[in-house]
Order: sequence, then structure tokens, then C-alpha cells
Amino acid sequence: MIEVKDITKKFGRKKVLDGVSFTANKGEITCLIGINGVGKTTILNAIMNLTPTNSGEILIDGEKIHRETYEKITFIPDAITMLPQMRITDAMQFMKDFYHSWNQNRADELISFFKLDPNDRISSLSKGNTAKVNMLLGLALDVDYLLMDEPFSGIDIFSREQIADVFTSHLVEGRGVIITTHEISDIEHLIDKAVLLNDGVVLREFNAEEVRENEGKSIIDVMREVYQA
Amino acid sequence: MKNFWKLTNFELNRFSKIYFILIGLTLAMQTIGIVLLSSSYMSDVEEQLALGSTLEWIKISVGTFSFSSVTSSYWFGGPIVISIVSLLIYVFFIWYRDWFGKNTFIYRLLMLPTARINVFFAKATTIFLMVFGLISLQLVFILMENELLKLMVSETFREDQSLNQIIFSFDYMGVLYPTSIIQFFINYGIGFMAVFVVFTGVLFERCFRLKGILFGILFAGVALFVFISPVLLQVTILEEFFYPNEIFILMVITGLMVTTGSIWMSHYLLNKKIRV
Repeated sequence: MIEVKDITKKFGRKKVLDGVSFTANKGEITCLIGINGVGKTTILNAIMNLTPTNSGEILIDGEKIHRETYEKITFIPDAITMLPQMRITDAMQFMKDFYHSWNQNRADELISFFKLDPNDRISSLSKGNTAKVNMLLGLALDVDYLLMDEPFSGIDIFSREQIADVFTSHLVEGRGVIITTHEISDIEHLIDKAVLLNDGVVLREFNAEEVRENEGKSIIDVMREVYQA
Repeated sequence: MKNFWKLTNFELNRFSKIYFILIGLTLAMQTIGIVLLSSSYMSDVEEQLALGSTLEWIKISVGTFSFSSVTSSYWFGGPIVISIVSLLIYVFFIWYRDWFGKNTFIYRLLMLPTARINVFFAKATTIFLMVFGLISLQLVFILMENELLKLMVSETFREDQSLNQIIFSFDYMGVLYPTSIIQFFINYGIGFMAVFVVFTGVLFERCFRLKGILFGILFAGVALFVFISPVLLQVTILEEFFYPNEIFILMVITGLMVTTGSIWMSHYLLNKKIRV
């Protein structure tokens, strides 16, 4: 389980996270929802120790992040994290060289799933294909937790569909996923847990299925209640 | 350790294109310099011969030609200065290139399942290997170019020089090619310590952005102060108290303190304060 406990983060005088707490379980898709600038990406960066927090604590399976943790959690940011001059095959080799958890069979499977050419240079890829390669580099790791920052942002409808298909496949099954988005429509039906954020504060954290069953509301209904209240 | 070598290899490959361009540029410019300067010299000689001057007179009036005639020209020193400046810029660029641009590679580097200080050491090792590589190649080039010079200028008008003589005929070569092992450790020790301090300064900036520039400059200032403190003490409070060899030992100690402090601070910044 990923536990985010009362974290605060300031950029200068501006407080971007103000006592954020939530949990994300293995085997569930947790979605951080909020408009741009509410601190979603900062939370993911903080979980991965890519930005320091001012207070609070983040635990992954009960431990603070350390070097070995990167073998069981990965982050797929909204921009590709490989060098533009690399071919897809070079990027995969890089991952294979450094990560014990790299699963080449799964990588090959993803190459055909996304219909990518391993010999293509990253700099020559379309925005949609770049997002798919970015996704591939994260999904081909045998990790317990996946963090994804706006995976659907700014890409074409067909690429969005292909990426959305990943969430219903065995590629994600059994793993804990934290995904951020400001456009929920593509994945609403896939989300197990929603965390609604505004101005660096968690407004509401709820189980999507429970709300559906008990209150007869969709995530979007709850969002309307919370954000338009 | 394995990850450190992998990272070093990766960093070396990233700079290889520019590096090979620098090597090519050095060889090309120095070779052109030898051809142009020796041709010009030989045409002067031939002119004098055509006028009926004796060989002795030509040697006096035109002078003899040696490798020093080349090392004192921009053709020889120019590419060396370009290489040094390029490497100095790369000391900063080796970090900043990972943050800027469309592909933010720093995410990947910081998420590798290895100690983050390995990234720091890999980048530093890359700079050190590049420096030693260029310096060693320059020696090989001098030997090759000397042979070319022998082909271009006839023995009568040539003043052959040993490698040592060639090196010391060029003002700054003494710094790059020290004559004693102790001088070697002093020159390169100070150079590499400076690289570590600059790296730490860059990391301060990357952690705290604008405020970090100030922290970085302060850190570099403190590092310099600590390093030269034995000399400062010697010329101020203690008034020639130490023997020169004692000053040297004290500066080795302060140098090691600065280097260790720099590595420790970088380790802390990379683990606790870094921002993507």
C-alpha cells in the first residue's frame, strides 16, 4: 500500500500541498482528480522522491522510499524520460541494463500491442506514439505500483483508446495504480478509488463502487457535488 | 559499482559526438597549421636560395624551423583552447542537459534503482576521462605532427626537438603536462576538486533554483577559503610559521576536506532536496 500522510509542500510562499493524505492499495486504480495546478503532479513527484516535501510522510509498503524501492514502483510522467536520439530498442536496452524488474517478454508484447517499431527514434515519434513508448517503459517493469501522470493528455483519440485498453488488460492487473487526470471521462469506469483535490487539499476520498452502490452516484456526480458546492 | 560503470559508459557515449568533433578539430587545425607554416617557411627559404644566399646566411636571416614555431601559433593553441573551453562548458551542461528540453531524462536518472550519488560520480568520471583522453591524444598528435614537420622541412633548416622540448615551448603545456608526479597530483587534484565543487554548486541551483545560485556561489566561496586557508594563515596571522612542505601537506588536507565536503553535500542534495 502507498500511504501519503499529511504532506505539505511550498514553492516559495505558495502552498501547493496542504496536509494531503490518502492511500492507494495494490490491485486498485486510484485516481487523483483535479484541475491543472492543484498539485497532482507534485504528489506523484513527492511519492517518487523527485521533489522534497516540507512535512508529512510517504510510505510504500510501510517503508520510506529508498533505492531498491524503484524496483517495485515506477512513475510514468507526462513527458518521455528517455533521450530523443535513442531508438525504442535502445531505450528498452537501457531499462534492461539498470532494472532487475525489467520484463523483456512483456516489453515485446507491448511493442506489438501498441504497434510500435522498435527501430524508430524517439525524436521521430508522434505525440501519441511517444506516450505509448513512455507507457511501455513503465509497464514492462515487474513492479507492484505504477504512477501515471495525465496519460491521456494531448493525444489522439485512437492512442487514448489503446492506452485505456491497457487498464483492462493483464498488464495492469494485480498492481496498484495511481493515475492523475483532469479529464475523467476516458477512465471513469476503470477507477476503484477517487481522490478529489483542489488547491492542494484533498476534498474527498472515496471508493467508486461503494458510492455507486450506496448513493447511486457516478464519480462525475460526486465531482459536481464537491467542486460546484 | 556495476551501475556506476554502466552510467559512466552511458555518459561517455552521450558526449562522444562532440568529443570526436573536438579531437578531429584539434588534429585538423594542427595539421593544417604545420602544413601552412612550414610551406610558408620553405617558400621564404627558396626565395633566399633563388637570390643566391648561402645556407648559413639563410639560417641567420630566415631562422631555422622547429616545432616551437608551430606551437606558438593559433593553429596549435587554438584547438587546445577550444577543447578546454568546451570541457569547461560541459561541466555545467552535463547536468543541465538532463533537466531541459522536451525529454526530461533527469526523471529516469533519479528513478534508477541505484544510489543517486552514482549519477554524480559517473558524470565526474566522464569529465575526468575526457580530460585525460584529450591530453593523451594531444601527446600522440604532437608525435605524429612532428613526423609530418620532418617531411615538410628539410633537415638543413630544421631544428629537431624532443617531446619534452616541444611541450615546454608552449606556455600552458607545463600545466597540462606536469614534470613531476607531485605536480601532476597538484594540477589535476585542484582541477578535479574544482569540478566537484562546481557540480555541488549546480546541484544547489537545481534544488533551490534562484536562491540556489546564491547558495552555490557561497559554497564555492567557502570551499575556496577552506582550501587556501593554510596560505592565508601563513601570510597573515602566523607570519611564515610553516615550511613550504608543511603548507603543501596542509593544502592536501584542506583539498581533501573540500572534495569530501562537496561529495557529502551533493549526496545530501540528491537524496533530500533535488527537484525535477
